[in-house]
This record gives sequence, C-alpha cells and structure tokens, in this order.
Amino acid sequence: MSVTAPYRSGRAVGTSGFRHLLRAEWTKFQTVRGWVIGILVGLLLMVGLGVLTTKNSACGVPPTQTNPSGACPAPPTGPGGEWVTDAFYFVRQPLGASGSITVRVTSLTGLYATHAGSAVPGEIPTADLTPGVQPWAKAGIIIKASTTAGSAYAAMMVTGDHGVRMQWNFTNDVAGLAGKVSAASPRWLRLTRTGDVIRGYDSADGAHWTLVGTATLAGLPSLSQAGLFAASPGYSANSTSFGGSSSKGGPALATGLFDQVSRQGAWPAGSSGQWTGQDIQGPADNALQPAAQGYREAAGTFTVSGSGDIAPAGGSAGAVTSQTLVGTFAGLIAVVVIGVMFMTTEYRRGLIRTTFAASPRRGRVLAAKAVVLAAVTFTAGLVATAITVPLGEHLLHENGYPIYPTSALTDARIVVGTAGLLAVCAVLALAVGTLLRRSAGAVTVVIVGIVLPYLLAILSGVLPAAAEEWLVRVTPAAAFAIQQSIPAYPQVDAAYTPGTGYFPLAPWAGFAVLCAWAAAALALAVFVLPRRDV
Amino acid sequence: MEATIEVTGLRKRFGTVLALDGMTFTVIAGQVTGFVGPNGAGKSTTMRIILGLDAADAGTALIGGQPYASVRHPLSCLGSLLDAGALQPSRSARNHLLWLAHSQGLGAKRVDEVLELVGLGAAARRKAGGYSLGMRQRLGIAAALLGDPPVLMFDEPFNGMDPEGIVWMRGFLRSLAAQGRAVLVSSHLMSELEDGADHLVVVGHGLVIADASVAELIAAASADRVTVRTSARDQAMTALARAGAEVAAIGPDVLTISGLSSERIVALLSGNAISFAEVSPHRASLEEAYMELTRDAVEFRAGAAS
Amino acid sequence: MTALHAEWTKLRTVPGPGWLLLAAIMLTAAVGALAANAVTCPAGGCQIDPAKVSLTGIYVGQTIVAILATAAVSGEYSTGMIRLTLTATPRRWLVLAAKTAVVGTATLATGAVAVLASVLVGRLLLDQHGIDPAHGYQALSLADGTVLRAAAGSALYLALIALLGLGVATAVRDSAVSIGVVLGLLYLFPIIASVVGDADWKRHLDQISPMTAGMYIQATTDLRSLPLAPWQGLGVLAAWAAGALLAGGLLLYLRDA
Repeated sequence: MSVTAPYRSGRAVGTSGFRHLLRAEWTKFQTVRGWVIGILVGLLLMVGLGVLTTKNSACGVPPTQTNPSGACPAPPTGPGGEWVTDAFYFVRQPLGASGSITVRVTSLTGLYATHAGSAVPGEIPTADLTPGVQPWAKAGIIIKASTTAGSAYAAMMVTGDHGVRMQWNFTNDVAGLAGKVSAASPRWLRLTRTGDVIRGYDSADGAHWTLVGTATLAGLPSLSQAGLFAASPGYSANSTSFGGSSSKGGPALATGLFDQVSRQGAWPAGSSGQWTGQDIQGPADNALQPAAQGYREAAGTFTVSGSGDIAPAGGSAGAVTSQTLVGTFAGLIAVVVIGVMFMTTEYRRGLIRTTFAASPRRGRVLAAKAVVLAAVTFTAGLVATAITVPLGEHLLHENGYPIYPTSALTDARIVVGTAGLLAVCAVLALAVGTLLRRSAGAVTVVIVGIVLPYLLAILSGVLPAAAEEWLVRVTPAAAFAIQQSIPAYPQVDAAYTPGTGYFPLAPWAGFAVLCAWAAAALALAVFVLPRRDV
Repeated sequence: MEATIEVTGLRKRFGTVLALDGMTFTVIAGQVTGFVGPNGAGKSTTMRIILGLDAADAGTALIGGQPYASVRHPLSCLGSLLDAGALQPSRSARNHLLWLAHSQGLGAKRVDEVLELVGLGAAARRKAGGYSLGMRQRLGIAAALLGDPPVLMFDEPFNGMDPEGIVWMRGFLRSLAAQGRAVLVSSHLMSELEDGADHLVVVGHGLVIADASVAELIAAASADRVTVRTSARDQAMTALARAGAEVAAIGPDVLTISGLSSERIVALLSGNAISFAEVSPHRASLEEAYMELTRDAVEFRAGAAS
Repeated sequence: MTALHAEWTKLRTVPGPGWLLLAAIMLTAAVGALAANAVTCPAGGCQIDPAKVSLTGIYVGQTIVAILATAAVSGEYSTGMIRLTLTATPRRWLVLAAKTAVVGTATLATGAVAVLASVLVGRLLLDQHGIDPAHGYQALSLADGTVLRAAAGSALYLALIALLGLGVATAVRDSAVSIGVVLGLLYLFPIIASVVGDADWKRHLDQISPMTAGMYIQATTDLRSLPLAPWQGLGVLAAWAAGALLAGGLLLYLRDA
C-alpha cells in the first residue's frame, strides 16, 4: 500500500486586489448581452427622443416676404449677450459725455388686461382694462446708449412693489428706498453720468441724497439718450387649470407722474431742448399697442405711460439647450433598470454565493460594481449628450427656432453634468437594489424618487407651487438643475418652474443632492451587506 | 381513457442545436418505464413537448390518443413533475397545491390526501421556500397525484434525495405502476433505476437508441460473457487467450471472457491445472449496459483529471 | 372558471399582494391629503379643481398597482412556476384571461376604497382651506355627478394601469424590465410633451399618452380646455391596456413556455 503525497498545485497563485475585482465585475457586465443592449437602447432613446422633439418644434410664425422660412425673430441681446426685453416708453433728449438728470416722482399707477387681446395682440380697449400696478412696473429716469433695443443703459426707477431700484444693463439690480411712491411720500431720483460711469441717487425729501449704485457701461458713446421712461411687464395669474402650460395673463400699462425735472451738464439741446417721446419696441410678448402709451406735459409735470419691460428675457422667447436633452429620462429608466439588475440577478440565481465565496470582502465587491457601472453609464451618457446637444441645436436652428445663447462653459456643464447624472443614478439604483433585493421594487423606488417629482412639477395643475418647489429641492430630482440653461433673475417675475427650465437650486447644488442620496444608499448597503446571510 | 403516452417522430431545434431528431416511443400501463440518456439527449425537451409547453417542429405526442392541450381536465389525465423548484418561496406548500387543485375543480380535501400520501402532512403549512431538496421533490410528486391520473411523468425525481428517500421513491413508483398506471421516469443515473424500472427507453442525440425491457437490455449487454474468479490470473489469461477467447481483467482476481462457453473454459482451466473459484455467466449491471449503448451518444466527455 | 379560482387562490395565498394593495390605499389617501392641505386661496379667488386635488394620490397609487400587476406574471417566470400553471391550464389564453380578471377586480376594489378615502379626507381638508360655499364652492360630495365621475373613473384608472402592467409583463417576462417599460410609458409622454415647441404636436402627444389622457377623467372644472373629453381620455388608457394584453397574449401563445 502506497502513501499518497498531499496534493500541491503546480500553478502560480493569482493575485487579489481591487483592480482584479474591477476586472471581474467588468467581465460580468460586458458578457451579459441583455445589459449591453440595454445601455445601447438607452443611448439610442436619448438621441432619438432629442432629435424627434427638436425636429418637430416649429416656431409657428407664418412665412412672410421678409421672413420666408417662418423663423421666429431672435430676441435682442443685451451687452452681456443674454436675451433681453427692451420695450418701454421713452421721453428723451440727447445727453453728452457728462451730465445729470433729477426728477421727483409722485405717483405710479397702472392698468392691466386679464387676457392677451383678440385680433391684434396688445390692442385692448381701455374699458377692458383693470386698475392695478404690477409688482415690477417701472417708472423713472434712464440714460441709454441709443434707442436700439438691447443697448447699454442705466436707470433709476420706482417700482410697483419693490421700492426704488437702480438697474443697468438688464442683469444688474440694486435696491434703494423701500415703500410705494405716492403724493404723500414722493421719491426723488437722480442719475449722473461721467464718461462711462453712471451713478444713481435717491432721496425721500429732495435734500438728502443716498448713492444707490454705480454702473460702469464700457464703451458708452459720448452722445447718449437720457430722460423719463415708464414700462410695465404683463399681468399673469397663477392658473392651475389642467389644459396645458398656458397661463392667464395680459399686457399691462404703467403711468408715472414726474415733476421738478432738472438737468445739469452737457445737454446738447440746451435747457430749452425739446423732449421726444418714443415707444421703444424690443419685441415684448405682453405689451400694449403703442396707441395706449405716450406722454403729456403740463406746466412742468410729465405723465408718462409705457408698457413692456427692460429686463432679461426668459426662455419663452425661444428654445433652451436643456430641451434637446428631454431624452435623458428615457436613458435614466434604462440605466436604473440595468443598475438594479446588476445586483439583483445575482441574488435570483444564487450567483451571489459564488461571488462572495470568491471575494469575501463584500463591501469591496459592491464598490467594484459601482465603479464599473458608473464608468459604463457615464461614458454612454457622454456619447449620447455629446451627439444630441449639437444635433438638437442644429435642428432647432433649421426650424427657425432661436436658441438661448449659452456660453461654452455652460454647454460643457450641461453635457458632462447629464452624463454624471446618469452615472450617479445608476449607482443609486445599484445600492437600492442591494438593499431591497427585489428588482421591481428597487426600480420603482428609484424611478419614482427621481422622475416623479420632476413630472409632478411640470404637469400644471397637479401640485401647488410651494409643494413643487419643495419636491424639486429635496428629492434626487433636484439633480436636473444641472441642465438649467438659462439663469433666473429676481428682478423679473416669471414662471420659474421646472416646466419652463428653471430649478430652485443652483446646478451643482442640485447635483450634490442626488449625490448625497446615492452616497447614503451606498453607505447603508455597504454597512448592511456583510451582516446579512446570503 | 387509455393509460398511454405515444410519442411519434418528434423534431425540435433550439437555434443551432438539434434537440430532438425523430423521437418515437410508447409508454404503456402497468409498468415503470425509465427514460434514460446522457445529458443533453432530449429527455426534458420531450417531456415539455408532451405537456404542450414547447412546440415541436414536427411529430406528435399523444396521451391516451389525445394531445395534451385538448384534454378537458389535464391533471386528471397526466400528472407530471418537471422542476421541483418551481415554487413561490413565500407560499406554503399546502397553498401551492391548493391553487393547483382549484385549477382542476378539486378542493382542499384532495390536497390534504395527497400530502399524506407523500408524507408531507406535518410540514404542509410551512413556507415552501424553507423546504429541503427532498421535501420539494415529494411536494412535486404530490402535485402530480392531485388529479389521480392514470398516466404519470417524472423528470429526474431522484435528484437530491437521500438513500432513504430513493428507496421510498422506488417503492412508491412501483406501487403506482402496480395500480395499472403508466409511469414514465427520466433519469441519467442507472443505479436509481436498476431495481425501479421494468422497461427502458434509452435515448441519445435526440433519438431512441434502445426500447426494451430491463431484462433484455442486461442480457444483451451481458452477451455471452463468462466471469472467472481465479488466483492464478495471469496464467488463466494466457491459457484462455491462446484458445482464442477475448479476455478482460476487471479485478485483481476476476476475468471476463467472451468467445468461449462456460464448459469449454472449465475444461481449459482444469486441463492446465489452473485452479479457479468461480465460473459463471456474466450479468452486466444496468450501468454497463447503458454505457455500452450510449458510448457514442455522450456529448460531454470529461478528460481525465490532469 | 377553474382557472379563475386557481388565479384567485394564487393571489390570496401570498402575503405580498395584500400588503401592496393596502399600501396603495394608504398612500393614495395620504398624498391626496397632502395636496389638499397645501391649497391656498389667493384673494382673487381659488382657481383649483377640488375633486382633482383630493385625487392627486392616484399618481402614487398607480406605481404600486403597476408593481403588483407585473409581479403577478413575472414572478411566475422567475420561479419557473409558469410551466406548472400552463400544465394545469394548457389553454394559454384562458390563463391570461383569468389573471386579467383576478388582478383587475382586485385593483378595482382597492381603487374604489382608495378613492373613497381620498374624497373623504379631501373634503375635510379643503373645507378648512377655503373651498367652501363662502367662496362659491360646494363641499366635495359623491352625490355630485361630476365628482362621482371623477372618483369612479379614478378607480377604473387604477384597474386599467394594472391591466397595462399585466400585458407588458406577459410580453417582457422580466420583472425589472417590465416595470421599467410601464413607468417609461407612463412618464415619458408628458415629459416630452412639455418640451415640444409645436402646440399641435403637444396636443397630439397629450391625446395619446396613457397617463395624461387617462387622468382627464379626474377633471371637474375647465373641461373645455382639455384636448379630450374625460371618458375619451380614459378610453385611451383602456386602448393601451388592451394593446398590451393582446401583445402579451400573442407572445404567450407563440413562445415556448
């Protein structure tokens, strides 16, 4: 009887390490044909839906002789490159390189319409108008480079609800004296120009002046226009009716009463210069017809009525980049399904035991899966967005749709941020799948957490505005802020809701909310996993 | 209804793999028919086609002269066990049989009867997910018996049973056949069927290789071989080989000889003064018979451990 | 008939569906309560649809119902039990019909309870938030024909969502993928509609979207602004559910089990 020697393997021992775990998980992923196809399907859906929606977006302006393609006019751009609304009634005189203008404002009243106007937009009989001042109705003094819409300016004004303000070059806004203006509490406003620098002052008694703000308008021509103005943005009501995203509203008029108008400095026309009244019409979609605007002068008191606004324009004037990425939601669903299945299918077939027998440190297995998943989805997402955004913008352009000009940095943020959003969502799905171990439940929890809040926010009439905002701040849906292509301005009252492309949180802040959710889920999963029986 | 399964000319292709290539056999009542073949021979596919779960590309499968799909109360015609693990883990075993019974218009009383029959009465209300492999097999058999059918079909019922369970199962199947039922049992382990089956259908590569009673198959495999037990093995081998026989040594002191009759062997050995302890006709084991038959049909042959 | 009995036994002998239906009822009522609680009436007058607000919870209830319906089919495939089911009932269309009947009835009943609870809670809360006769609103009551239509229609809506899920799961068979497809069908249409610039396209998308059109059944005010009449909208969802069941049934019949 022979004694058998103990078995010794002649093979080299393999090395273990996170690198090898990564390789193992990558092999696992790429060898399941269904998952690879799923990623590709998500990618195709993203590109396809983006193309489909942009291809079928037409501006809807009937072709005319001057505009045979029916393209929508692009809104004027301000000195900073953003779209602006520049419509108001201007009572002006030329002003030289230095000078000042001072006025006293004794009243600001207004009228508004509750509907847009029948045949001719903006032509509404006065009898149909309701008395009332809009919160951001403006009347005051302004120094403007020229009467071209979008040119540089600085203005001191009283507003309907926000007191005295100094605004310049559309995006800048500083508060002055608070409180509504009336005959009992008038406001004195002064603008002084010295070359390129314009200073704004206000006073409650005409004697003591406070500097409100200093504006430097680079390249202001030596001959500018200065004078009185009035404007009022349209009236809109928060309507929760179901039919769609149309909000009820109509154009509005603001009338300001000015007296004690005095001018100093280099006014080319001199002290007896004639005032010219002009309706500046940088197209505003809620302005009354010129017939309603105008000015009267009687014994030094000016009554100026104007409609429109001097402010940045919202995205409603055209399209915004984020609209091309509407397919993100389809890609999201695909990525979430695959992320969940990456873990739950192992449980279903008992493969998880083989995995944990080969790699007992379970947290590292989860980490390796997360890394592989994130890398794959980020890459696929990047490819999808890098194709869709330029393609979509090109199609919109072909359809005559003006697109809000975004800087290259913003575009990069949108493209990379969306890919990152997909990757983090996939990891969140993986973590939730690990925790719940049931695939359908995990998929639903993640999709409902990310997509449903966004959906409820854009479906008008479902939730009150406060609830919508809370949802889009707190849930993972906040991450869609990364796609915001157009900034919100406090000095413009508009529908700042996700439906129109605005999010309550700053882009990276919103993204961080999603990352926090994913990190929490992952941490919980890493904690729970080694403590479970498998 | 006649208690038979008639399979004629079944053909089935899965993608590029030809699973069945003209499978034809008949299962009759009163005996246990073993359905044996190597892995991948087409046993499970045939059973699924009989049950109408998969559609054959050609050929027919009839139970008592009718296709399964047109039987009014299917489980009262053919009872089957395909996959003992096909259970909802969170459902109790009793409830699992209950919904099956309801689908046939049967009630809870019958469920309790079959549970007692297979010995699961005590564990009936436990969740099926917690059952051991053997218990799940018994549950599957109970499900097959719900409708008290004259024809029964089991796919690898011995899988995972402990020795005691295998003995019980064999006896149980025999008793079912003795009641006049037709019983078809598939397996790829001969030892299980050795004392359990009366008739064998041996398949390989999607075809029937042999369709005979166990006795016939063993006899055929035994052929005319003779077993000789002797301590002078080498001398015996030389002597017998010189006489023109084929000699194989199957043990340190056991030889199998073919080509010579027992009397001739005795005469040769005695004539050469070679002592021997035993000369008897060789009885092949079923395993041997099977190995012979399916040698060419085995798809996956493992290499020797390196 | 026996197939029906079998499917009902299957549904009631597993703890999952019971809990899911209970959760659907509670969440629907809770979300409706939250929505009703958040209503504020500005000085100009409330411009809300009281019935619709109290029934907001259906948005959440539908996901739970979809999970239940898809699991009723995909669970059989993942455990392999589908073979047992088809062995017991070889006529496959009968199996699908029985599942449809059982799941549909269960969700309809659940929907009815959920809707009742929502309307009750909504009535109480809205009254405190200014939706009362003083503002020109009647208290929410099922005696009102339109409110009854909105409520009953919402229960029907839940049942149709379940049938949609059932059909998709029968076609797709995997639980995660089928719930992904269902949620995609429900959520993607309104999201795309919100982005499309062309008003005509937007209208058409709203008209064919299962969730948007189906929810028209809840509207009790401002009906003229809807692209479809309420019952027409619900009909669109019914068409989707029927299509899914048809597709699923066809694939069930043609495929190997």
